[in-house]
Amino acid sequence: MTLTSFSFFVFFAVCILCYYILPQKIRWTGLLGFSILFFVFSSPPITGIFLLGCIIVTHTCCMQIHRFKKTDPGKAKGFLICGIIIDLSMLAVLKYSNFFALHWNAIAARAHLNASVRIPDWPVPLGISFYTLQAVGLMADTWREITEPEHNIFKSALFIAYYPQLTSGPIARYEELKESLFRENAFSWTNFTHGLQRMLWGLFKKLVLSARLALVVDGINGDMEVYNGFYIWIAAGLFMLQLYTDFSGYMDIIIGASEVFGIKLPENFRAPFFSRSVREFWQRWHITLGAFMRDYVFYPIQHAYRFIHIRKALSQKIGRKAADRLTTGAALLCVWFLTGLWHGGAYKYIFGWGLWFWLCLILGQTGEPLWKKLRVFFKVRESSFSWRLFQILRTFILVSIGNIFFRAGSLKAAFRAISLGFTSADNPWILFDGSYSQFGLSQKEVFLTFAGLLILLLVSVLQQSGSVREKIDRQGIVFRWVLYFMLLFAVIVFGKYGPDYNPADFIYRGF
Amino acid sequence: MSKNEIFTKLNSIFRDVFDDKTIMVSESTSAADIEDWDSLSHIILISAIEDEFGVRFNMKDVLNMKNVGEMADILAEMIGKHIS
Repeated sequence: MTLTSFSFFVFFAVCILCYYILPQKIRWTGLLGFSILFFVFSSPPITGIFLLGCIIVTHTCCMQIHRFKKTDPGKAKGFLICGIIIDLSMLAVLKYSNFFALHWNAIAARAHLNASVRIPDWPVPLGISFYTLQAVGLMADTWREITEPEHNIFKSALFIAYYPQLTSGPIARYEELKESLFRENAFSWTNFTHGLQRMLWGLFKKLVLSARLALVVDGINGDMEVYNGFYIWIAAGLFMLQLYTDFSGYMDIIIGASEVFGIKLPENFRAPFFSRSVREFWQRWHITLGAFMRDYVFYPIQHAYRFIHIRKALSQKIGRKAADRLTTGAALLCVWFLTGLWHGGAYKYIFGWGLWFWLCLILGQTGEPLWKKLRVFFKVRESSFSWRLFQILRTFILVSIGNIFFRAGSLKAAFRAISLGFTSADNPWILFDGSYSQFGLSQKEVFLTFAGLLILLLVSVLQQSGSVREKIDRQGIVFRWVLYFMLLFAVIVFGKYGPDYNPADFIYRGF
Repeated sequence: MSKNEIFTKLNSIFRDVFDDKTIMVSESTSAADIEDWDSLSHIILISAIEDEFGVRFNMKDVLNMKNVGEMADILAEMIGKHIS
């Protein structure tokens, strides 16, 4: 069951009804019940064992960490390490065993060893990449005494398996979610309408925009021998927009659905295309994954005793600033390796996508003295609009190139796509000569997509000065309802449905 | 060490880490006030403070300190414990 299917909306309506019929004190148990049902309907039932295992292990370890932290820190640390290893092992075995088996077989064949293994085909539990990170975060926060563990295992279960966010995040921290998840939420008309409005906005992004952008992107990527040259770069830019409308649209549905229950999930996007550097982009794009990597990978590495000793030793030889840059670069390499690996067991994520962004960040950071000199040399006025626009466009191009690796079938295919981008003499005129009709888009649909993207841009600009929904709330009743109905009709009339397109194919659901 | 002395030391660390001689930190100075103070530079700043004051923050403090005032409070408490 995906969040854009008719069955989900029926499921969601029944859930809202039951949630608010239940006595306020035990409303969260209704959500737990519906989360279990959602998992059963959406994931092979056998995979429930792993979700259950993750809940039991995480809850038990949290309790023990909390119990021994003051009296026997060694024992508490043992439970922390044990819990993390077990949870991550489930993720590694179920999600990456194919990757490891393929490599093992390749090594065995090369060494002429008769030791090849069968490529496993295990069913993967829905949302394992997301709920595992939440579980690890909960144990680490208990160890750091940032949060107190939940004594009731059913509450821990709801935090890990809460169904709207189970499929694609956002990756929440227990400390920020527990209050709204377990408090006695009373029905609020504002929460209810705001939640539904946000869901509608998400559906617009997904069904009206992302679906149409996907047609062109898939068309070009499907036959690069024909569509090369400038087409490659168009596909890269459009894929960036497709990924954004798809993933952020999904987030709007998830966060909006939670708002209906009075639950506040963390935001995952903050107008990422206004970023003026790749570094800033990653503070605005998939924010909760970035925050997880920062708090549970980057900081612990940078703050580890051994790492500090290395930095001090380097400082004496090459100076403190250079040592800081070098060690930050090394810690970031670990972060991007793991971020790439988290997206999937494939070289395109680890060595293509991950390494590209690492390189962009490192060049941005270590090259700053040089960039500064160049800015002075060219007399760049850093506060000018043109310079800011240049920075925004440069960032968009850099992240679009990185996402060629993300979209491609393999690392080799990504490099092939990039090389094909330079081989043909096609020029930007293909944007205006009706070439897009080859991918199944009529002129009307192209106009519609452009209009939709302009609305998206307008909303993003308005969001810079506060909540757009609150701004709409302050308008007259006629204006508001005309706006809501227009959005609803846009989704119903212009939403891309039908046999050629499967709205269930959310890009990030695959993780 | 008085709070004023802590702030004076912090000010010079901030200037050095962010390469900006105009920085003047106060109780309420936060990441929003210094352009380059983001998640990457935060941990470098933390390390520089730890080196200078001879203390070690725990991860809870590293993650939760919201402004320089909180940073100074934690430092004052740590130095106090260290001395006593």
